[in-house]
Amino acid sequence: MNMIPLPDIVLLLLGFAVLAADLFASNKAVSYHLAWVGLIVVSLLIWIQPHDQEMVYLGTYRVAGFALLFKQFFTLSALFTLLLARSYFTGQGDQKGPMGNSGEFCTIILMCTFGMFTVVSASDMLTVFIGMELATVPLYVLSGFRKGDDLGAEAATKYIVMGTLSTCIGLFGYSFLYGRAGGMTFEALANYTAANPGDPLLHLGIVLILVATGFKLTLVPFHMWAPDVYEGAPTPVTSFLSVSSKGTAVGFLLLLFFGPLAPATPQLQNMLLLLAGVTMVVGNLGAMRQNNLRRFMAYSSIAQAGYIVMALAGESELAQQAIFYYLPVYAVANFAVFFIIAIVGRERGENFAALRGLSKQHPGLAAIMMLAMFSLAGIPPLAGFTGKFMLFAAAAKQGLYGMVLFAALNSTVSLYYYLLIIKEAYIVQPEAELNPLGISLMQKSGLLPLTLAMLLLGVVPMFSTAIMEIL
Amino acid sequence: MNGSTLLTLIWLLPMVTALVTLPMDNRNHGMIKKTALIGNSINLILIILLTFKFMASATALGTGVGTSETVLHFTQRLTWFKMLNIDYFIGVDAISVLMMLLTGIVVFTGTLASWNVNNQTKEFFALLNILAGGVYGVFISFDLFTLFLFYEIAVLPMYLLIGLWGTGDKEYAAMKLTLMLVAGSAFILAGILALYFESGINSFDMMALSKVHFPVAFQNWVFPLIFAGFGVLGALFPFHTWSPDGHASAPTAVSMLHAGVLMKLGGYGCLRVAMYLMPEGSQFWLPIFLILVTINVVYGAFGAIRQTDLKYITAYSSVSHCGLVLFGLTAMTYVGLKGAVLQMISHGLMTALFFCLIGMIYGRTKTRDIREMGGLMKVMPFLSVAFVITGLAGLGLPGLSGFVAEVTVFLGAFANPEPVYRVCTVLAILSIVVTAVYVLRTANSVVNGPIKENFQLLGDATWMEKIPVTILLFTIFAMGLLPGWIVDLVNGAVDPIFNKVMQ
Repeated sequence: MNMIPLPDIVLLLLGFAVLAADLFASNKAVSYHLAWVGLIVVSLLIWIQPHDQEMVYLGTYRVAGFALLFKQFFTLSALFTLLLARSYFTGQGDQKGPMGNSGEFCTIILMCTFGMFTVVSASDMLTVFIGMELATVPLYVLSGFRKGDDLGAEAATKYIVMGTLSTCIGLFGYSFLYGRAGGMTFEALANYTAANPGDPLLHLGIVLILVATGFKLTLVPFHMWAPDVYEGAPTPVTSFLSVSSKGTAVGFLLLLFFGPLAPATPQLQNMLLLLAGVTMVVGNLGAMRQNNLRRFMAYSSIAQAGYIVMALAGESELAQQAIFYYLPVYAVANFAVFFIIAIVGRERGENFAALRGLSKQHPGLAAIMMLAMFSLAGIPPLAGFTGKFMLFAAAAKQGLYGMVLFAALNSTVSLYYYLLIIKEAYIVQPEAELNPLGISLMQKSGLLPLTLAMLLLGVVPMFSTAIMEIL
Repeated sequence: MNGSTLLTLIWLLPMVTALVTLPMDNRNHGMIKKTALIGNSINLILIILLTFKFMASATALGTGVGTSETVLHFTQRLTWFKMLNIDYFIGVDAISVLMMLLTGIVVFTGTLASWNVNNQTKEFFALLNILAGGVYGVFISFDLFTLFLFYEIAVLPMYLLIGLWGTGDKEYAAMKLTLMLVAGSAFILAGILALYFESGINSFDMMALSKVHFPVAFQNWVFPLIFAGFGVLGALFPFHTWSPDGHASAPTAVSMLHAGVLMKLGGYGCLRVAMYLMPEGSQFWLPIFLILVTINVVYGAFGAIRQTDLKYITAYSSVSHCGLVLFGLTAMTYVGLKGAVLQMISHGLMTALFFCLIGMIYGRTKTRDIREMGGLMKVMPFLSVAFVITGLAGLGLPGLSGFVAEVTVFLGAFANPEPVYRVCTVLAILSIVVTAVYVLRTANSVVNGPIKENFQLLGDATWMEKIPVTILLFTIFAMGLLPGWIVDLVNGAVDPIFNKVMQ
């Protein structure tokens, strides 16, 4: 049974099955339900895989603890995206009306997730590249999923132009690595890097790849597309972009920087720190001036990427653990916010003013929003605090105390705009009579585990211990 | 009950109380308030129990006088995050116990004083309890991570507490306060991570860290980070500007807790983390901080003279009096440190009572401007007498708690033979004159003189309001008349810290 990467294959088959169900089943809901149930099965399959042994399939597809952790992350992220998407396909949809083709939507999400699986399992550059493409191209489709919506079309166009450009730059980078290492496998690359960690052409290749990844991870100055796409794409797609797509980029960087390229990374430290610093500052300053919740989340997630990249420059073992810890923590808070945006946005639009009066009308929702904001800002005892603490510790272990202080002060600045959201939800009084908000079963079942995760991930020790053991 | 379980219970109970009230109907004010009051009463009883257990334990275990190692009582250690070797490591020494006692009293009286909160009652008491839980947590934590975690928990609820239930320019004040305090903790965070990794033992355990000798150059750059970081909460000049706005806008119980207890976390952190872990850093930096702190004491007093709003007056006087806490710390003498701890307790009680009374007076007169008041003695004798007594405690009248603490601080600071210390002490003592000016003038214009027509029909304190005032008055007198047992306890705890700093 362990001879084949079962979860990956099940996921791929699931994608086809959902497509088939969409074509042949008379009830359109079948494909949707098949998709989320299937994802739970995949998640369980990943859970029971042995994480302490490494398996290589076909010489290029490697499954170990690292890949399993990321796969679990991607699977759950896809699952929550589907839960979130449900209300956009049923009944009234949001203010732009309901979306059609839910079967196609699910298929694309599943295929995209399979691409992400490929990235974190790759052990040569070609597989990584194919995986990245498989994980990115479907997102172009998803951004413009609402046909006839101008903002959506703008988002998709922007995304595809910028995305292809970044792919070209990345490919250019790969060609340098290939040219210097003389092979496509990570092994060849690792051997070459260990022998010549200071090779300038190798560094050029790495920088180009970093630029391409920076686009996915929304590092400044490659972030320009993010606010527009986050605003234009349908909300479930935005949440998927901000969690899964970023997770892929982070997984890819971890795979390369702490894998074959590890000997060369100390020399890139200053560049990483510069990127991290600029990303934090621009993200934070940008978020302060927003009025649209999704644009706001775009800038907030730009700033969050900055903290992750800072940890990337830290001490390798702790950095990997910390980043692993932080990703789900960040994802949980982000999803919680998007669920609330979906609930509120359906009746009142997606700007800040839509949150007014929430604390009186739906104290629970307002409290979840507050928890999510505090978690993103890194306030204890929520998950975000412990997560950020670990990230900072990873950088501090490398002796980067100045950077840690800078990041911590940035985090203070970010608290300002997260508090603005809390202020809207709690303090500012609504101007008009509030219409009732409907919360569907899918939304409730999504919000409950997210809330528990925000409250518990940061204080329960099991989670961090598990990551330590698996890595 | 086991001492360490008791400690955990003390911080857990307020959190549980907050949780219990969550499912209640928000319109059922009485039920919510009673639950909060019951929770806080039990907690106060637990803390008093802890104090007695501690005194018994202190006689049994000894206090560590003459050594340079703090003796912890009721310790408990549980592994928490293996990734960074973080433990849930708790324990208490006399300073912690006394500060918890202070917190217990202030929270209890604060709950009684906020009996008239009828707007979103549930959230108010829940946040107040979370805040209290965080404060208790700080005082029992001897693991830097745990301490920092509780510290942040204690600081954050303030945003909503002021923003929602405050008065005046509350949104601005809440935001300013929160951001300044969190910026302070950013410095602390960088500092404790530096301590962790440079110690070479990869531990946040303060007792273990205190045995590590850090290089002097390292101490010299980390010490100011941590001292100033905690100093923000202790209203260290020039980081005190959040304090007047914050205190003036906050609702009564929040001002009481914040000025009475939270600001003490600043001084506590400076003493426990910055000075205890980095003695050489203290010796280098404290004379420099002394200058800032002297400005605190003097500037706070002069600031209070200029104000006409009762809450602003008290807030500035808090800046001045909290400055005395830090002044005692920077004195670098045994008596000075002792005075700092006494001043924390004394100021906590005094300022809590002050804000409590102001809240009650404001509830009646609907104004806090002293120019519009007068003659309140005729209609509310109880509140007026209490107000005058508190004012006298503030200016250090013998027989009240303020005298014991302030005299110790000044004696301690003057005992340091360096000329700069002598000069600063003289300046600081002169600030008492200024204190007398604003205290007497304020008391005079509020209590005496002809009464305004619209105040003629106001009533005195209700039975419910008299309880917290009486309790706080009693403690102020008790500490002023019989300071012996507190001083004995403090001696035992301060001696090891002093020896460590001066070794």
